[in-house]
Amino acid sequence: MASDSIRISLAQAKELVELLEQGEQAQADALLGEIVKVQHDELFASVGRLTRDLHDSLQDFHVDPRLESLMEDELPDAKNRLNYVIQRTEDAANRTMDAVEASLPIAEQMHQQVSHIQPVWDRLMSRDLELNEFKQLCHDVDSFIRDSGQHAAHLQGLMTEVLMAQDYQDITGQVIRRVIELVQDVEQNLIELLKVFAKREDSEVQADKKKAKPDNIGAEGPIIDAEQRDDVVNGQDEVDDLLSSLGF
Amino acid sequence: MKILVVDDFSTMRRIIKNLLRDLGFQNVSEADDGNTALPMLQNGDYDFVVTDWNMPGMQGIDLLKAIRADENLSHLPVLMVTAEAKREQIVAAAQAGVNGYIVKPFTAATLREKLEKIFERIK
Repeated sequence: MASDSIRISLAQAKELVELLEQGEQAQADALLGEIVKVQHDELFASVGRLTRDLHDSLQDFHVDPRLESLMEDELPDAKNRLNYVIQRTEDAANRTMDAVEASLPIAEQMHQQVSHIQPVWDRLMSRDLELNEFKQLCHDVDSFIRDSGQHAAHLQGLMTEVLMAQDYQDITGQVIRRVIELVQDVEQNLIELLKVFAKREDSEVQADKKKAKPDNIGAEGPIIDAEQRDDVVNGQDEVDDLLSSLGF
Repeated sequence: MKILVVDDFSTMRRIIKNLLRDLGFQNVSEADDGNTALPMLQNGDYDFVVTDWNMPGMQGIDLLKAIRADENLSHLPVLMVTAEAKREQIVAAAQAGVNGYIVKPFTAATLREKLEKIFERIK
């Protein structure tokens, strides 16, 4: 069906006119049919080729066990993995904060004991203390030493708990890496699918890409590649600069 | 000073609540998105709102607009604490009348600084 190939020759056209002038309608129709038949054959051959390509590609996709397992097992599995990451990170954050919340009152109590003892202690150091005050001070210091030992051991345990809670990073890191691999697989398969179905011009694809991003203030979540993008700020300083440029 | 912290992640609400307590703010309530937060604000005498942007249900930017559109709440200071970091988003929040904008991850010092700045302006 190429437009540059000759569709009807001058001789054929003259013959057609002659036949019509002579009133030979049936013969004229037959001649016209012969002329367009060549083009029809080309079209049919082309459609046939496309159909066979499509059929083969679909057949390939159907028998590709990778795709089947992607759809049936791995995508639902990826959802579970990501939920698992949320759960693990939430647990770790709560574990850490539990330990911190338990530590703060201990520090506060030690601080209070010291502030209670210190003024009397200072007077002892400057030899300005009555005997009965000295006895009381001895008791206070004694209980402070005992309490401090216990508190130190308790704090040590809580700090270890904070340390151990950070193990989520290793586990979630591995899980996320596997999900990334899966996403790459899906992407590869989608590209193959596009190659089969998409016969559009590049410009059309470009236009669609532009259309796909109409909402620039829609929520996007954490930016994981801020250094590579120029539409996002990189840190609080840039936020402050931007806002002050707006008169904030 | 009665404060409402709006975030869909309970851990982040907890972190902000702890930081606020360290700064001397004891009376802090929580909501997990704008739809929960708005009626709480309308029915309670809150003095300050700290909100995330990206939440299921009503998002933080829409909560901010709803607060500014409600004549009883329009004066309420709103601090946005969010991972949303696109320039256009920050400009949009500023245009909607946000009082401060903090991007996650943030430090306790940043929160303290922005809070002090906001309260300074209110006085």
